[in-house]
Amino acid sequence: MWIERKVLAQELPAVAGLDTRHVCELLAALGFPVDGVVNREGTEALDVDITANRGDAMSHRGIARELATKLAQPMAPLAPAEPVEGTPIVDVRLEVMACPVYSTAVLELGSGSTPLDVQAFLLALEASPKRLPAVDASNELLHRYGHPTHAFDADRIEGAVSVRWARAGEALITLDGIERTLTSLDLVIADEQGPIALAGVMGGERTKVTEGTRRVLLESAYFDAKTVRAAARRHSLHTDASHRFGRGADPAMARIARNLLVERLTQWCGARLMGAWTAGSLPVPAAPTFLKTALLARVAGEILSLAEAEEILERLGCSVAMEAHGLRVQAPTWRHDLVIAEDLAEEVLRLRGYERIPSVLPPMEGPPQTLSATYLQRQKLSRRLAHLGFHQTVTYGFISPEADAAFSAPDNPPEGRTLSNPLGLEYSVMRGSLLPSLQATAEQNLRQGAREVRLFELGPAYTSSPGGPREVPSLALVWGGTLGGQDYLTPARAVREADLTGIAHDLGLTRAPEVRSLGEGLFGLELPLADLPLAGDRIIPAFRPFSRFPVVERDLSLLVDLGQTYEALAAAMRVALPADTLQDLRCVDVFRHRSLPEGRQAWLLRMRFQADRTLVGDEVDGWVAAALGAAESLGAKLRA
Amino acid sequence: MDQLLPGDIVEAGKLFPEALAACADLDALLRLKGAYVGREGSHAAHMMDLLKAAPKDQKRDLGAAINAFKQQWEEALKLRQAELESAKKARSAQAANWDPSLPPPRPAEGALHPLNRLMDRLVEVFRPLGFHVEEGPEVETEAHNFDGLNIPEDHPAKASSDTFYLAAHPELLLRTHTSPVQVRTLLRIAPELAARGGVRFLAPGRVYRKDEIDPTHSPMFHQVEGMLVGHDIGMQHLKGTLEYALRALFGPHTEIRLRPSYFPFVEPGCEVDVSCPLCDAKGCRVCKGSGWVEILGAGLIHPNVLSYAGIDPNEWSGWAFGMGVERMAMMLSQTPDLRLFFENDQRFLRAMGGLD
Repeated sequence: MWIERKVLAQELPAVAGLDTRHVCELLAALGFPVDGVVNREGTEALDVDITANRGDAMSHRGIARELATKLAQPMAPLAPAEPVEGTPIVDVRLEVMACPVYSTAVLELGSGSTPLDVQAFLLALEASPKRLPAVDASNELLHRYGHPTHAFDADRIEGAVSVRWARAGEALITLDGIERTLTSLDLVIADEQGPIALAGVMGGERTKVTEGTRRVLLESAYFDAKTVRAAARRHSLHTDASHRFGRGADPAMARIARNLLVERLTQWCGARLMGAWTAGSLPVPAAPTFLKTALLARVAGEILSLAEAEEILERLGCSVAMEAHGLRVQAPTWRHDLVIAEDLAEEVLRLRGYERIPSVLPPMEGPPQTLSATYLQRQKLSRRLAHLGFHQTVTYGFISPEADAAFSAPDNPPEGRTLSNPLGLEYSVMRGSLLPSLQATAEQNLRQGAREVRLFELGPAYTSSPGGPREVPSLALVWGGTLGGQDYLTPARAVREADLTGIAHDLGLTRAPEVRSLGEGLFGLELPLADLPLAGDRIIPAFRPFSRFPVVERDLSLLVDLGQTYEALAAAMRVALPADTLQDLRCVDVFRHRSLPEGRQAWLLRMRFQADRTLVGDEVDGWVAAALGAAESLGAKLRA
Repeated sequence: MDQLLPGDIVEAGKLFPEALAACADLDALLRLKGAYVGREGSHAAHMMDLLKAAPKDQKRDLGAAINAFKQQWEEALKLRQAELESAKKARSAQAANWDPSLPPPRPAEGALHPLNRLMDRLVEVFRPLGFHVEEGPEVETEAHNFDGLNIPEDHPAKASSDTFYLAAHPELLLRTHTSPVQVRTLLRIAPELAARGGVRFLAPGRVYRKDEIDPTHSPMFHQVEGMLVGHDIGMQHLKGTLEYALRALFGPHTEIRLRPSYFPFVEPGCEVDVSCPLCDAKGCRVCKGSGWVEILGAGLIHPNVLSYAGIDPNEWSGWAFGMGVERMAMMLSQTPDLRLFFENDQRFLRAMGGLD
C-alpha cells in the first residue's frame, strides 16, 4: 500500500522531522516493511507491506498511529464538525446483523472541483482522481483514514433504502459495468427497485454519481468482514473497499467518516447539508482479554513489569485495568486482531522492539530422537549413488498423461492421480513412475553434449487407490552414453543394461532388477525403496569365520547354446559342487563369433575353492568334472 | 713402421675412428668389431696371415706393428661398447617409467542435488540440539494443510487459483507448505508428549503452489519446517535457537534480526533476517544495500494449533519456523534463474551440488 509522506506528516507531525530511511526502519521494526520508496507528484510515496491481520493499518492515519505509538508522539486531532442529526430524508432499514450501523447524509452539491492538493495526493497513490468532488472525497477518505464510504446519486434512488441479503438470482450492474448475478449470501444495499450496491465491495451503475448529479446520499457504514471477503471472492471483485472491510474496519469510524465527507463536500463545492442521520448502533465490543503476568513473561522470555505492559497497551488505544495477576484489556474498536492473550503479549513485545528479546537455547526436556531408518536409507543411497558417479535430480511430481501412460503399471489408472486445476496438461498427473522425468532429463543432457549421463532421483511415485493417491517412496536411475575412453588405460564402450544391473546389486537388491531400455544406449531402472535394505540394527554384523588356507581357482571354457541362460547353468553346476568349499562361481567372459559352431557361444566360467585345509588337486579335479557333467546335462560342451 | 704394412690396412686404420663414431648401436659396433678384429676375414686376421708369410727377419718388427694396430682397435671398441651399453640401459629404464603427467583414469564423478545438500546441511546443524526429522505426504488433506494450522476456512490460499486439488478426491490437495507435518506429528505424539519431554524436529520436503514457471517462481519447491514443543517456551528460545543455527550455517559473526510479522499458525509471529553473508553486512546487490537478508518466517505456536492436536496450550508451548530452500540456495549461490534447479544439467549439479 502506498503511503504519501506529506499526508503522513499531517496525521503525525513528529514524522515531518524524520528522514525517510528512519521512517522505513521504524515501520519495519513495527512489522510493516517498506518494499520501496518512489518520488511521485513532487512527494515521496512509500510502498508499505501490510500483513493480512492489520486492516486497521491500511491508511495514512493507521500507519501514523503505529508510528505515534512507537515514538510516543501525539497524532493530529481528528474531530470533524458533527452535523446535527435529524429525521431521515430517506428511510434506511438495516435488516441484518452484518450491517449494524449506517451513517448517512443528503447534500445538495454546489459548484467547485476537487482541490489540487487532494488530486495530487491521489495521483501519488496511483489512484486516479475523477474530479467529481463526491467521488474524490470518498476516495481520499479511504486512503487517508482507512474507512470506505460511498456516495449515491440521491435522485436516482427509488423509495426506501435497505441493507439486506440479496435474493438468489437478483442482478446488479456494478460500477465497472459488469452485470453480476447475486446469491443469498451477498449483502446488498437496495432501494425499492432492487440492489444498488454490493455492500462493502462496490457501488452500482444505476445510482452512481455523475457530472449531472445534484444531490448525493452518503453511505458510511460498518459491514461484517467475513461477509465482504466472501462476496469479493465470489464475484472476483477485489476493491480498495473490500480489502479494508474484509480485514475488519473500525465501526466507530462510520459516523466520523460521514462527518469528514460532509465537511469536505461543504468546503470543496459549497454543498448544502439537507439532513444527516444514523441507522443502527455500534456493535457490542468483544469481551476483554486477560493477559496473565506469567504468560507475558513466558512469551517475552523475561519478567516484564505490568506497568510497562499497561502503558504500551494504552498507547495502542486499549483500555487496561490492572489486576493482581495480570491486565484486563479491552482492545480499541479498530483492532480486530487482538483476541487472545498471546496477541496482547505480541503487542507489548512489538512496541518494546523484538531486538530486546533475550536469546536463550531451549533446555532439553527429554532424550533426543534418532533419525528414522527410512530417512537414513535415503541419505545413504544418495551418497552411495553420488560416489558411483550418479547425479541427483529434482523433477516435478506431476507430468503429462502421455508420459505417465508410457511407464505406469496397467493397474494404476491415472484418473485417481489427476489434478483438477493443473498448470497445464503437461503438469496434470501425479506421476506413477519417476522414469519419464528422468528419461527427459537424460535426453536433455545428452542433447547438451554430455558424453555420458548418470542420473538418479529419490521421490514418491503415486499409486491410485480408493482413498486417494498412495505415495510409494522410490528410487529411479538412468544411465546412458559412452563409458571410458577418457584416459590411456580405460577403453571406450557404450553403456550396457548390465551396468545398471550391477548398480542395483551394489545397492543391495537381491532379486534380478527390471532394467528398461529408454531408447538407444539409455537404460532406466525404478525400485520401490522397500525393496532395498534399510540400515541394519546391529552396529557390526555377527562374526563369520573365514579360511586362511590357499584358494584354488579353475576355469572351464564351455560351448553353450545361444538360448541358454547363465542363471540356469550356474544353478545346475552349484548343485554338483560342494557348497562349503565353493567360494565363487562366475562367468568371466562371453565370446560370440562366426568361428564357433552355429547357434553356440563360448563362456569362460571361473570357480574358486577354499576350505579349512589345503585342497588336493585330485579332489578339485573331481569337483570340476562333476560341474562339467552338470553343464553337459544342459547341452554344454567343453570347448576344445 | 706403416711402410711394413700394405696400403689397404693403413687406410683401414685411418678410417677406424670415424667408423667407430658412426656406430649408433651395439649391432653396428659388433659388425665393426668383426670387420677389424674378428677371427676370420678381418683386417686383424689379414695382418696375421701377412705375419705368417713374412720373412723371418721382418717378423719381429711387423709383429710389433700389427699388435699396436690390434690393441688400439680393441681398446677403442671396448670403450665404445661400454658407452653404447650404458645408453641402452638408460633407454630401457626410461621405457619402464610411465610419464606421470599423463591424465590418469579417474573414478566417475557424481553429485547430490544442491537443494538436497542444503536441506541435509540444515538437518546437520540442528542435530546437536536434539532435533530429528519428521516427514509427511505431499498429497495432503485440507484438514492437515489448513484447518489444523488455524488457517481460516475462507483463507484465499485455499482457492483453486493458489492450491492444486485432486480431481477425483476434492478433499485432497498438494501440500502448500511443510507445516502439515507439524499437524501430523503433533497429533501422533500428543498422547506421549509428557513421557517424551516435548518434541523437537525438522520437516524438510517438497511443496506445491499454483505459480506459473518463471525465473523466480516454480509450482514445486522445497521448505524446511522446524518445530519445538516444551514447557515455558517463549520468543527467547526461538531467538536462541535461530541464532545458533544461522551462525552454524553462515559463520560465527552472523547477526540475526527478528521483525514482527503475521502467520495464522503462530502468535507472536516474526520474519527473521540475517546479516548479509555475501558482503558481511556491508551492503551489496543481494541485500539491496541494507546489510540484511530475509531468511525465514517463525513464531510461537498458536494455541489453536496445539489444541487441534489435543495438546493443552496452558501446559505446553513452542515455536515453529519455515524457510524456503530455493530462496536460500539462490541467495547463497546467486543463481540467476530458479529453473536451473529443476533442469538438472549434470554440469550445474556437479558445480552446485557436488559431494560432501
